[in-house]
Amino acid sequence: MFEPQLLMRVIPALPLAAAVAIALLGPRVLKRSCHALLVVALLGSLVASVLLARQVLTAGAHGEDHAGKNHAAAAASPEADEHSTAAEIPQTTLWRWAAVEGATSSSAATYASSGGEPFAESQPLDFTIDITLRADALTAIMLVMVTFVSLLVAIYSIGYMHDDRGYWRFFSYVGLFVFSMTMLVLSSNFLLLYVFWEAVGVCSYLLIGFWYEKPEASAAGKKAFLVNRVGDFGFALGIFLIWTLFGTLNFHDTSAIDGVLGLNRIEAAAYPAGIVATAICLLLFVGACGKSAQFPLHVWLPDAMEGPTPVSALIHAATMVTAGIYMVARCTPLFAASGYAGYVVAGIGGFTALLAGLIAVTQTDLKRVLAYSTVSQLGYMFLALGVGSAAGIAAGMFHLITHAFFKALLFLGAGSVMHAMGGVIDMRRFGGLRRLMPVTHWTFLIGCLALAGLFPLAGFWSKDAILAAVYDEAAAHGTGDWEHAATFFNYLFLVASFTAFLTAFYTFRAFFRTFYGEERIPPEAGHHAHESPAVMTVPLMILAVLAAVSGYLLHVNETFAHWLAQTPGIPAVVHHEGHSSSHSFVAMLSTILAVGGIGLAAYFYLGELTQIDRIARWLRPLYVASYGKFWFDPLYQLLIVGPLWLLAQLAYFLDRYLIDGLVNLVGYLPRVFGGVLRRVQNGMLQLYVLGMIVALLLLAAAVVLPRLPVPEKPAESEATSVQPSPAPIRVGHRPPTLPSPDHTSRPLRGEGVR
Amino acid sequence: MWETIAAPPFLLLVSLAMPLWGALVILLTCRNDAASARLLALFFAVATLVAATGVVVQFPTDQPAAQANYAAAALPWLGEATGLDIRFDVAVDGLSLWLYGLSALLVLTAVLISWTTVREREAGYYGLLLLLAGGMLGVFVARDMILFYIFFEFTLIPLFVLIGIWGSDRRRYAAVKFFLFTLAGSLLTFLGLLLLVLQYDTFSIPELTARAMASPLDPAWQTAIFLLLFAGFAIKVPLFPLHTWLPLAHVEAPAAGSVLLAGVLLKIGTYGFLRFSVPLLPEATATLLPWLLWLSVAGIVYGALVALAQSDLKRLIAYSSVSHLGFCMLGLFALNRLGIQGGVLQSINHGISTGGLFAIVGMIYRRYHTREISELGGLARRTPWLAAFMVFFTLSSIGLPGTNGFAGEFLLLCGMFQRASATTAAAYSTQFYAIAVLAVSGVVLGAWYMLWLVQRVFFGPLREPTHDAEPIRDMGWSEFFSLAPLAVFVLWIGLFPGQFLKPMSATLDRLTGRATAAWEQQAEAAARTDAAELADRGQNSPQRAESPPR
Repeated sequence: MFEPQLLMRVIPALPLAAAVAIALLGPRVLKRSCHALLVVALLGSLVASVLLARQVLTAGAHGEDHAGKNHAAAAASPEADEHSTAAEIPQTTLWRWAAVEGATSSSAATYASSGGEPFAESQPLDFTIDITLRADALTAIMLVMVTFVSLLVAIYSIGYMHDDRGYWRFFSYVGLFVFSMTMLVLSSNFLLLYVFWEAVGVCSYLLIGFWYEKPEASAAGKKAFLVNRVGDFGFALGIFLIWTLFGTLNFHDTSAIDGVLGLNRIEAAAYPAGIVATAICLLLFVGACGKSAQFPLHVWLPDAMEGPTPVSALIHAATMVTAGIYMVARCTPLFAASGYAGYVVAGIGGFTALLAGLIAVTQTDLKRVLAYSTVSQLGYMFLALGVGSAAGIAAGMFHLITHAFFKALLFLGAGSVMHAMGGVIDMRRFGGLRRLMPVTHWTFLIGCLALAGLFPLAGFWSKDAILAAVYDEAAAHGTGDWEHAATFFNYLFLVASFTAFLTAFYTFRAFFRTFYGEERIPPEAGHHAHESPAVMTVPLMILAVLAAVSGYLLHVNETFAHWLAQTPGIPAVVHHEGHSSSHSFVAMLSTILAVGGIGLAAYFYLGELTQIDRIARWLRPLYVASYGKFWFDPLYQLLIVGPLWLLAQLAYFLDRYLIDGLVNLVGYLPRVFGGVLRRVQNGMLQLYVLGMIVALLLLAAAVVLPRLPVPEKPAESEATSVQPSPAPIRVGHRPPTLPSPDHTSRPLRGEGVR
Repeated sequence: MWETIAAPPFLLLVSLAMPLWGALVILLTCRNDAASARLLALFFAVATLVAATGVVVQFPTDQPAAQANYAAAALPWLGEATGLDIRFDVAVDGLSLWLYGLSALLVLTAVLISWTTVREREAGYYGLLLLLAGGMLGVFVARDMILFYIFFEFTLIPLFVLIGIWGSDRRRYAAVKFFLFTLAGSLLTFLGLLLLVLQYDTFSIPELTARAMASPLDPAWQTAIFLLLFAGFAIKVPLFPLHTWLPLAHVEAPAAGSVLLAGVLLKIGTYGFLRFSVPLLPEATATLLPWLLWLSVAGIVYGALVALAQSDLKRLIAYSSVSHLGFCMLGLFALNRLGIQGGVLQSINHGISTGGLFAIVGMIYRRYHTREISELGGLARRTPWLAAFMVFFTLSSIGLPGTNGFAGEFLLLCGMFQRASATTAAAYSTQFYAIAVLAVSGVVLGAWYMLWLVQRVFFGPLREPTHDAEPIRDMGWSEFFSLAPLAVFVLWIGLFPGQFLKPMSATLDRLTGRATAAWEQQAEAAARTDAAELADRGQNSPQRAESPPR
């Protein structure tokens, strides 16, 4: 009924239109009803996304028989080939952003040939960037998730932001963000991806610093932007390398050239291997580390909690921070071609998961606990992607989706608490809120259970899939040459398991401290201390339902993996023998860990807190390190910011005293050497101008005078008249190619000479 | 009738005559009448912009053949008396098109931001401003060496006076330094241009270009002349380390002076390189290329670092100009289509974004009479529109995708990487990759100092210096309309850079083709030497390996 091309345009267009309309009309006309426009627009986007997903996923399911059976040699029959290139991936071009014809010089060795011959000499390539939207399975899944969560968050914000001065500004920014995020996942080339990658970054910057009068908020916004810029530095370098290597930035194939992630290239496996491929992947991964807050660029996300809580839920938990995961998943063929990049991705992911989990255990700010939890869970997803197997990628993306639901739920629940407590979010200052806020309590509990990974909630299925993928990868490498890989993944499995335990522990630590124990309410709460209005609790309930059931629904019959495998470049999950036994082992282990974590948290935090204080004293160094977030911020300040600042001061000093000093010295010399010149430099403009004019006239005269028409013998041959008359300034040799036709056509002298 | 008025040559002449005529009218009639001086200046600025727009929109983008003589208007001049073919000859081609249009646009901005800031000797001020405008417009369209040089110097004197009279505290020192510094450079440039004229026997720039392409000079001479031209153009740009006049001049200049200085006058340097140095002296360009690239990237990083250390709003943005112009030069000397087109586009972008930023700083200065960052804070509360524009132009300046800054930077950096990967000679290739990576790091530093500036001045708790009884208001209409057109172009170029690239491509190809070829020859020669050395080693090493057993 609806063309996918139309739907693809509608999905980002609606939030953009709403954002612009709110920005124009908000302050004067709409005032307190700004939200209506955005909610309607997001609802429209959600419907369009669902329709698009239905078309994309069913179209793919139709062709799945081809893709599934002979994925390795899908190019075998021309019929199947046609089917997969033309029918499956709808795309639509809006306009041509820029085109530079013949941008590569002919001597450039490029990796652009369609036959997959590496480094073939090829014709000069055009640099063309089209604003093209494209929706495959991966995109469609992301679109539904993004529009769904943002719709709920927008509704929730009606209650949360209701008496804020910047009401219209908030909804306008959110609209802009949803536009950017949907465009990010619809992008069909690396440039467009980068464009919207930065655009979501700006929305994040604006929304973190939403309460710009708070110095912490504006500082956090700047920090987020800069840390992301460091990541983008790598991302940009990666893109430039891709351009020089492939001669295009397109994902998809066009008539002129095969795309970087196009079907032709995937089927021909025409990817460079070795160090170049690894370099590209690692540079792209640096960008992903920035956006998805991975070590060592994770420091911005906890600070980003200065923004309004709905923003934390939408941007800094569910959607924007997963852009890095999306990008790495999107570039699966590139990562697969590089043998080593995957290890780095998995290693960084696993390390970050552990690190952030350790920090989250001791934080007292409820939102920061959740923020570190997000960092940790994102690390989990990278770990899965880094495994590189089909099951790993599917597990990573699966966790992305379930995490979006339950983490958005947890943040919105925390926001509900914060709303009731008059803006206080420090867990030491409130407690026992379960009777005061029953809906928030119950929905938060479901979110916590899902995050802890307890059967049968959403987190169980996805986390289990990740653990299983890591476990299988370790087993698959076995012994022999790949023994080190097996060891590596075995360690990662241990790390991931321990992190799962930590996750359950810190989640329920936060839960118990907030909702159980003696009822304590800070004075800031005033008369606010009651359950939030329905406009806030209904989104909580919807998300709670999804946090409970989405995992099972997507897991059963491998629905999610099948959907995802329709994406070109992402391999389908193939089942080996013996999987089920290992899976039940992993499932049991993760359940035990989750229950253990919850139990331990209950033991320590239900009731008096003396026990945990003793433990903290006992493990004092670890406690201090964790509470101090392992001192990354002061460390960066000391190692990077400080030296750069000193360097800047030094450069400025040199600029003033060395470089400018030399300049002044040159200007001063005439005064020293010439008494005459001193009198000339008296600051009188007229004299300077006079001097300049005189100099100009003199120079002109030097040119003109020797060339004034002199009576000459008129009968000279053409050849000699070409030669200029001897000039006082004889410059250089003439090249042998003289005389040229141009020369003869216009002699310097006037008409009279001839 | 309409055909005559809309004819590009006519419009071009009108756009050149309007500012000069306006300057004359204002200087002669409005001695003590500030209001009519302002209105007349506005009228002539708008008239100039309308005429220039007429020229720009009729540019034959799709007919490269017609571009060479587009809007050509020539008057015999001086030639009669001397027998030389010095002529008043103007035309617009792909290289000058956008620079010319940008100049016309920024004249209007300059007049509008002076509306409320200039409160003394208005007639002289606006007269000089229009004179400056006439010079700027002329310099980009002149097709005669002498005419070019006259316009080139013509931009200098009005700005010198503007800084010297309407500037702030150290205006005398700044004006004299600016004047002497640039004059010294431009005299050397003039010498270089004259040498070229002597070599090729023509004052006509297109003619000279054609002859130089047909028969290039001896490489040694090329290098000598290149260095002479370099003196003037590199000071104008300004290339590191010839930049020290710029921060001083910017800080002391009145707001409109800063806008035009950053927006247009610096571009005369990049224009000069592309119009003269690169096409006329291709071998010299190729020989000096690594040096030029290193200087450009040094400017990028150094300018950004020094900007980070600034406590004065205007000086910070002035140093950011050094950094941004480094990007433009880097693009030009990448010597491929992406780089050159990106470089020219980036010089337009810099004019728009930095012009806007200087205008905003002028607006802040008008309200608080300070440029010290530490004395200001949280102005977003007091002047939300001003803050919004500031954030907008900042994002454009740091190259946020979707704005013009990104389009230019991305293209030229792509070009630089292209150059690095296309250069197979190991020595050059490594250098070029290093340059490209350093340039990208300049993008990170750029975000740092600009966002830090915005954070300190516009966000956080409100902090204002004690100011006059006059209450602080948000932007007035003149301020709004001085920035709004620039904001439109920020988005227009950012979203549709192709529309701006296409008209310039044919001209730029023609101008830079020889230099590119010269460089590629040089690089290939170096690569062959590399290969030969490698082969030598290959032959030697087995012998060495065999020798020990013997």
